[in-house]
Amino acid sequence: MSLQLLFDALALGGIYAIAALGIALIFGVMRLVNFAHGQFIACAVFALIVPSTDALAVLGLGALPAPVLVPLILMIGAGLAVLAEALVFRPMRNASPVALMVGSFALGVALQNLLLVLYGGRPKAVSLWAELGQPVQVGSASVPLLQLIVIAAVVVILAALAIMLRKSRLGLEMRAAAEDFTMARMLGVRSNRVISGAFALSGALAAVVALVLVAQTGVADVRMGGQIMLVAFIATVVGGMGSLSGAVAAGLGIGAASALLQAGLPAEARPFRDAFLYGGVILVLLFRPQGLFAPVGAKPRV
Amino acid sequence: MAKLGIFDLAVRYGKLTAIADLSFTVTEGERVFISGPNGAGKSSLLSAIAGAVRAAHGRIEMDGEILSGLGAEAIARRGLSMVPEGRRIFAGLTVLENLTVGTGMRRDRGAVADDLETVFTAFPILRERARASAGALSGGQQQMLAIARALMTNPKVMLVDEPSLGLAPKVVDEVYDRLCQLQGLRGLTLVIVEQSSARAARVGGRMLLMRGGRIVADGDATEFAARDLLTEAYFGGAA
Ligand SMILES: Nc1ncnc2c1ncn2[C@@H]1O[C@H](COP(=O)(O)OP(=O)(O)O)[C@@H](O)[C@H]1O
Ligand SMILES: [Mg+2]
Repeated sequence: MSLQLLFDALALGGIYAIAALGIALIFGVMRLVNFAHGQFIACAVFALIVPSTDALAVLGLGALPAPVLVPLILMIGAGLAVLAEALVFRPMRNASPVALMVGSFALGVALQNLLLVLYGGRPKAVSLWAELGQPVQVGSASVPLLQLIVIAAVVVILAALAIMLRKSRLGLEMRAAAEDFTMARMLGVRSNRVISGAFALSGALAAVVALVLVAQTGVADVRMGGQIMLVAFIATVVGGMGSLSGAVAAGLGIGAASALLQAGLPAEARPFRDAFLYGGVILVLLFRPQGLFAPVGAKPRV
Repeated sequence: MAKLGIFDLAVRYGKLTAIADLSFTVTEGERVFISGPNGAGKSSLLSAIAGAVRAAHGRIEMDGEILSGLGAEAIARRGLSMVPEGRRIFAGLTVLENLTVGTGMRRDRGAVADDLETVFTAFPILRERARASAGALSGGQQQMLAIARALMTNPKVMLVDEPSLGLAPKVVDEVYDRLCQLQGLRGLTLVIVEQSSARAARVGGRMLLMRGGRIVADGDATEFAARDLLTEAYFGGAA
């Protein structure tokens, strides 16, 4: 495998892993598949530009220097997710998983329409961190600087999240609640705190995906969260619903497989890359319907 | 004043009535066994007291404060702790992490280390396996962990649902020894679901007999074993 291909695979897989984690975190504590996650990503993208229906995008927050912009967008993503939980999912706390899922669809549609009203429906060109497109020589490969930054960021985020889950009180409570929510509550764990925490982390991860998508594609599009949400959802299913490491592994795997297929398939088969990819997903699920890493002892909510 | 008071409690699952207009009180430091056949509503009763299932009506009080309607986390924070049926330990967490989950709400941070020492002294195996995954423990060890985990919340009242279920008699002896020892040490009020009246009599305490969601007899555990009221309850004789 060429070095170039390795970087492609890692960067794409890393982003899929981050998106999948955003879904798995919430599923873990609430048994909710949050289909609004894609719109969380889209909202974080549009938070970069000034609201207007003009074809030309004017950077608002996006013009801030990165050390300010990145934490700010992460906070906006986290805040949006926490707000959505308080307004939409908290009143549904005792609803069935299916009702919760429908609620998340409705939330996604509402957010998408909000973006359409504020920004119009046409994709806009956004130039964020254009200088990161410059290639850097790594061994034999010439890799865009952005790709290296993405890979490094993914590693840092995964490590930080793992440490947070292992070492912090909130992390402990989230892991306990993910296994048996009622038991955790009987030990005094506050459900609102755990659920808000999961949404905040998930929203911040959505914002990370948003920044990477904009920087890579140079486009802001109301629909842009949908595609990656689908891949991320598939990754959480393949990884085993509720397993965080499973979501990461499957996200990386799908991204890497996608990059490998893109490079390895003969030119005439390349348009069918996704068919090969999802064919592989179906094969995995045929042999392991519970996913690759079904979580230990996970009990249903209630 | 009663430590724990249950008044006209009812629990329903859809149309099924699991607990029907049940009342009793428990005094401070008392040990109360609840016995009765499968499906009598013993677990539903404990779950309702702990706030894990919602009561259809009735009132639950601890130290004169109304607990009913508060929700499991608020009830735990007031000093009522549950060792549930089937133990429900967090299998993916380490033993020490299991013991730590319930200490987050405590204000007396300094006493947490002392309590950890207390449960480690009572259950040395937990100290030995502190860093091991809780899922790797044997059934008896998991029962000890569930009891220790509840104690780490520093409860005033502890509910224990069938601690002997699935354990070898020798292990059950040990579990009860430790439970009684810790009760004396901490001045705990204990409500224990125990199917065997003989076991309850040996451990000693008051016993409530349940059938069909009601209390059908209330007395000293030793009398029950002697009078074999259990048999009557199982086979539908008058109580
Ligand atoms: N979650 C539940 N949903 C529906 N019915 C339940 C549930 N839990 C218990 N029951 C029913 O309530 C009755 C009492 O059960 P339970 O409280 O578990 O009794 P016990 O602990 O004495 O065996 C039984 O008929 C049981 O089938
Ligand atoms: Mg029971």
